[in-house]
Amino acid sequence: MSQAMSALEPPLGWASRERSSQEQLARRIVSNLPALLGAAVIVWMVILAIFAPIIATYPYDQTNLNAVEQPPSLAHWFGTDALGRDMFSRVVWGARSAVFVIVMVTVIDLGLGLQLGAAAGYLGGWVDTLVMRVADILFAFPGLLFVFFIAATIKPGLLAWARTHGLDDLARSGYLDYAVVIIALGVIGWAGLARLVRAQVLTVKEREFVISARATGVPTWRIILRHVLPNSIAPVIVALSMGMGDIALSEGYLSFLGIGLQPPAPSWGNILADNAGQYWRTFPQMIWLVLIPGLVLASVVFAFNFLGDGLNEALNPEISP
Amino acid sequence: MATLLEVKDLKTEFRTQDGVVHAVNGVSFTVDEGETLGLVGESGCGKSVSVLSVMRLIPHPPGKITNGQVLFQGRDLLQVDDEEIRSVRGNKIAMVFQDPMTSLNPVLTIGTQIGEALELHLGMTKEQARKRSVELLKMVGIPEAEGRLDDYPHQFSGGMRQRVMIAMALSCSPQLLIADEPTTALDVTIQAQIVDIVKRLKTELGMAIIWITHDLGVIAGLADRINVMYAGFVIETAPVKEIFGNPLHPYTLGLLTSIPRLDAAMKSKLTPIEGLPPDLIEMPKGCPFYNRCTFRTDQCANENPALELGAVRHSVACWNWQDVLKKRAAYLSGRA
Repeated sequence: MSQAMSALEPPLGWASRERSSQEQLARRIVSNLPALLGAAVIVWMVILAIFAPIIATYPYDQTNLNAVEQPPSLAHWFGTDALGRDMFSRVVWGARSAVFVIVMVTVIDLGLGLQLGAAAGYLGGWVDTLVMRVADILFAFPGLLFVFFIAATIKPGLLAWARTHGLDDLARSGYLDYAVVIIALGVIGWAGLARLVRAQVLTVKEREFVISARATGVPTWRIILRHVLPNSIAPVIVALSMGMGDIALSEGYLSFLGIGLQPPAPSWGNILADNAGQYWRTFPQMIWLVLIPGLVLASVVFAFNFLGDGLNEALNPEISP
Repeated sequence: MATLLEVKDLKTEFRTQDGVVHAVNGVSFTVDEGETLGLVGESGCGKSVSVLSVMRLIPHPPGKITNGQVLFQGRDLLQVDDEEIRSVRGNKIAMVFQDPMTSLNPVLTIGTQIGEALELHLGMTKEQARKRSVELLKMVGIPEAEGRLDDYPHQFSGGMRQRVMIAMALSCSPQLLIADEPTTALDVTIQAQIVDIVKRLKTELGMAIIWITHDLGVIAGLADRINVMYAGFVIETAPVKEIFGNPLHPYTLGLLTSIPRLDAAMKSKLTPIEGLPPDLIEMPKGCPFYNRCTFRTDQCANENPALELGAVRHSVACWNWQDVLKKRAAYLSGRA
């Protein structure tokens, strides 16, 4: 290159090292109060879930007929229910149930939704048609009703399967209830995610760097993994965060209606159902037995939605005011 | 010199809701080893589609290559399996795209992106690829190459990104570089730098180049030979001096009179080519340039001329090129 040309070149070290995108993201979340609160609530829930045996002051299923229907006190922070079970401990253990269900369902949704959505969007053709028609079928039913239907349908089958395989203990333990809830929510949850991923992939795959990668001879699976998905992921993260709130709520519904986790297994939904069924006639006596688990569940759902909104604004700076 | 790439009667069409778009209509051309071929023509004349067809990168559906052969080193690229075409892409034939702002993946560092081809085609380890990437970045004149390997595309300017794209394209020492309007999105000083870099690397690496552009000024100093395309046809092909000094097709003549010249009289006006190119869905029966041509005859309306030899190494697809030759001087002076 000629002398004159190099004189035109920018001086060495001209590029101020910009903050990395992760740092920017973290800063935008921290500056968003609802999102920060949401994140705090979620962190608390996870801590409760992990350390439930340490944090809980009593075993979650220990009854004490000498201390039934206690109001909140130093011994029983959230009071006790009709069987003298410590409500604080049950709510803490309920966090573990909620987190377990949320994580498992999200893993299923993400696994199916990401793979099927990416395949449908990138490959097109019959793969696209097949995946999207199945998703359409799932969407054709009212979501929650469909979950109830699946949960109610697979439960007897699952119990029978456990018994015929000499797993009577498992059948009695209540662990299968978790499987029922997770499968029911997972089976329909992926469809929305798959649609979202597909739509994202459809726009990203037309972008020039994807064509450029193809022109470099990069194999299809690698283009999807390294070039298409990372550029499609932002709305997926937002949807996942909001979806986790929905999963917590759905688990609550199922358990409240008695199709999900069964007492004495601790779930916010069945705690609510137990106590509401017991005390609705004497309202507002013992109101805290309903109020506390209800507020906990509601705050978790809000937390995920606030965090989702915050992530949405942080990942799409154009839309934030 | 030996022929590197021979395209024979290539036809590509796109099936859309409005009908079949005939984007490329039987294009034939050759590129010799080490030769630089310019593909010139206005937007939508099939330049990009032709080279994307060569690389088999036409989105399918709706695009489809319906006819022709693409012989690269004797092998028909339209017939080989997917595995084989991938081993050619980026390795033996590499491509640089128009817009450097969008041709790099925003979430990967440029080191990763340059390394991708090296690891893929040359089986290099991450370490080796990094070392080679630094060399490549130095080669295209990026200052502080080592330090910039871990930067993301948004930390580079447009001109720098196009250099990165060129470094990526050259990473596996391809025999053929296809540059699809690589300077169109850049400002003029940066254009000159990029052209300089490519010229220098061409002599250093001895590769052939297909350079697509609608800017005759850029191509004049770069190409050995020029193909002028119009409505999916090659309508004139000649060595670069012939195209500029002895244009035989009315369209080429029109292109040349529509660009400003330093040696033209001060008050002279530019002559635009009147009208629009034909609808590629309903192709005219005769010459596609008929409606806009000042040299047209009745024959032109009904019969589409094939490319025929008009002078030494100079072919033209026009029934009346001899007429053009005679009246050219008057036509050119008419601008003054």
